[in-house]
Amino acid sequence: MIKNKLIQLDDVVVQQPGHIVSDMDGETVMLSVEIGKYYNLGDIGGSIWSEIQSPIPVRQLIANLMTKYAVDQEECEEHVLAFLEQLLEEGLVTKQ
Amino acid sequence: MKKEWKKPNLEVLNV
Repeated sequence: MIKNKLIQLDDVVVQQPGHIVSDMDGETVMLSVEIGKYYNLGDIGGSIWSEIQSPIPVRQLIANLMTKYAVDQEECEEHVLAFLEQLLEEGLVTKQ
Repeated sequence: MKKEWKKPNLEVLNV
C-alpha cells in the first residue's frame, strides 16, 4: 500500500513558536501553551527539535543526525519522517 | 564516537 507522505525529504521544516521546552533527565519535554498539552520528545526527539529551531531541509536534518548517531540512512529517513509527521499533526512544526 | 540511535517518538503526556 502506498501512503501519501505528509513530509518529504525536500521539504523545509521549522519549529512553531510558542512552546516552553525543558530538559528532564536527558529527555526533552515541552508545553504547548496554545494547545494546552504536554509532550515528551525523548532524547533523540529533543535532538531533532534543536535542529529545527531554524528552517532546515529534511534531507539536511537527516545528514546532521547521521553524523551524531550510529544509524544507517534508510532507517534514519524512515524514523525522522515519521517523527516529523507526528510533530506536524500536533501543530508543533510547519513545513515550507 | 557516535551515540546509539533509538526511534524517536512523540509522547503526549496525559496532564
